[in-house]
Amino acid sequence: MSTQTPSSSTGSRWKSWITAQNIVVVVVLLLALVFPLVVDRPRFWLPNIGVRTLWMGTIAMSLVFLNRYVGLLSLAQMTFAGICSYGVGYFSVTMGWPIIPSIILSLGVGSLAGYVTALIAVRTKAIYFMMITLALSQVFYSWASQAIEVTNARRGIAPIPRPDLGFVNLNDITTFYYFALFLAVLSYAIFRYTAKSQFGLAIQGIKDSPERMSALGYNVNRYRTAALTLAAFVASIGGVILVFDRNQVDPSFVSLDATLNILVVAVVGGIGSLGGVFIGGFVFAMLQNFAQDFTDRYMTLTGLVFIGVLLFFPAGLVGLGPIIRRLFSKRAKTSASTGSSETPIAARRAGKNNKKGQHK
Amino acid sequence: MDIWPLILLNGLTLGAVYFVASSGLTLIFGLMRVITLAHGTSFLFGGYLGYVAASATDNWIIGLVTGLVAAGLLGLFTHQVLIRRFQDDDMRVALITLGVAVIGTDLMLAVFGGTATQVPFPQDLQVAVQIPGIGDYPLIRLIILAIAVVLGIAIYLVIARTRFGSIVRAGVDDAPMTSATGVNVRVVFAVIFAVGSALAGLAGVISGTLFPLLPGQDGSYLLFSLVVVIVGGMGSIPGAAIGSALVGVVSQFALVVAPTYAFVLTFALMVIVLAVRPQGIMGRPA
Repeated sequence: MSTQTPSSSTGSRWKSWITAQNIVVVVVLLLALVFPLVVDRPRFWLPNIGVRTLWMGTIAMSLVFLNRYVGLLSLAQMTFAGICSYGVGYFSVTMGWPIIPSIILSLGVGSLAGYVTALIAVRTKAIYFMMITLALSQVFYSWASQAIEVTNARRGIAPIPRPDLGFVNLNDITTFYYFALFLAVLSYAIFRYTAKSQFGLAIQGIKDSPERMSALGYNVNRYRTAALTLAAFVASIGGVILVFDRNQVDPSFVSLDATLNILVVAVVGGIGSLGGVFIGGFVFAMLQNFAQDFTDRYMTLTGLVFIGVLLFFPAGLVGLGPIIRRLFSKRAKTSASTGSSETPIAARRAGKNNKKGQHK
Repeated sequence: MDIWPLILLNGLTLGAVYFVASSGLTLIFGLMRVITLAHGTSFLFGGYLGYVAASATDNWIIGLVTGLVAAGLLGLFTHQVLIRRFQDDDMRVALITLGVAVIGTDLMLAVFGGTATQVPFPQDLQVAVQIPGIGDYPLIRLIILAIAVVLGIAIYLVIARTRFGSIVRAGVDDAPMTSATGVNVRVVFAVIFAVGSALAGLAGVISGTLFPLLPGQDGSYLLFSLVVVIVGGMGSIPGAAIGSALVGVVSQFALVVAPTYAFVLTFALMVIVLAVRPQGIMGRPA
């Protein structure tokens, strides 16, 4: 995990940016940039793996942001994305409005959905919050699959063609991939910036000790609401990529399965790491596309991978790096091993304590 | 003839199924402070195995017992193998049981297929009884309502009156202290988890007797159980009873009043309760 020092002197600003985390980010970004040039069949790889990784990652990233910086596990992120997708379909196809205002309005609607959810759920914590967001997401699903005048019920809204925005023509798949990549990087930047801002420090303080922050004069619920709305906004950005990837919108976008897929992506990538979700998304997209070649039961396989990650690598795939490093350094020190599954948990607990110490 | 009493009775019998399922969830939550998202899986698993046993032996009671035991064993397995070590980490337990649910959904679809099946029950029970103000009403629905009421009272009495019940209540209030007095809390946890899952399995067989068993019901019954437990208050058996009756009746009335939005109205009930009383109707403030 990265070390987060809230204040850094201007002299060492550039040095402080050269961290292991940022190097990995740059490498992954470079790989993503050359991705369309190196794959053998762009018509298959770009939509099925590339763009899918980007929207799943963006939506899962909003979940991870809430979990890591606010301490709330929201299962409604896919729903916010789906609401935005529905917005794009409804405004641009059903109402026939121009595409750019439709997209902007839809982002607003998705964020508004997050705000309303926050109003209902923000007073609850941890497991309660998770259940309520799950239930609310199912309310929207049932509404979407029945409200024929708005969502066209189960048939959904189709076709939603990829538009020519004037300055960029999304009809070209390579252009669309770079457009999606730009939005994903933008989302990542928004979260990284927010986490370091005054606001980000306040919500992290609230996560660690709501009582203390409340005593300091912070309106805890208002901060949580704002963070949830921001996360819903980023999820909506993912929804924009999603709707133009599928060229339609239907209730399966916001079904329980879709919600769980996002959770799997977040957990496999690493529930504590903003960028790791894209690795999780990539693994998941690969599973979706290629698992069918050797098994019919790819959901069982997904479930097994999911449980395996939770049992043995709670920090996800991005947590593997530190674990491997620690294993080697531990071997060097002592020959005794505490069992593979104990190591990451202990590490996480230790990490938690460190963080608490920093905030003092 | 007025249809409202009929709808009310339909709602209560539906609530009976919800109660049996959600009482298991509320028991597990009340003692262990964890939520098992594999609860719907236990429900459908119990229902399917109950169907297999009842069809094979032509005996409804054997079907009920099979569903109960099978889901109980599944719960025990899940608890012992997967989540026992992480019991303090409620999020992780929720996520692991979610993984179990994903696998369970897929495997049950593979084994039992996508077609609807219904648990057979004796010919003698397939009769209607005359109820004043309503008219003919299927006897089996009344029997199931009675089973739920008896079960509810039994669980309540066990928890309120017996030694095991007092251990459970002590565990709810302060698990480490209970452990310090010499109670093997880990065994109690395992028993409660198995019993909670078994109740879900029983609910599966009961539900399969009244309505067809379908893939996807694991998800919907998990959600209904969650809504009942949130509305009623977590960890409270009377709360689960009130919650299931409310959810059952509201959903049946909604079906008549606004059929398209019945599901939405049921969840609206939850939102209203949360807005007024975040801890649920019978829940204690956290």
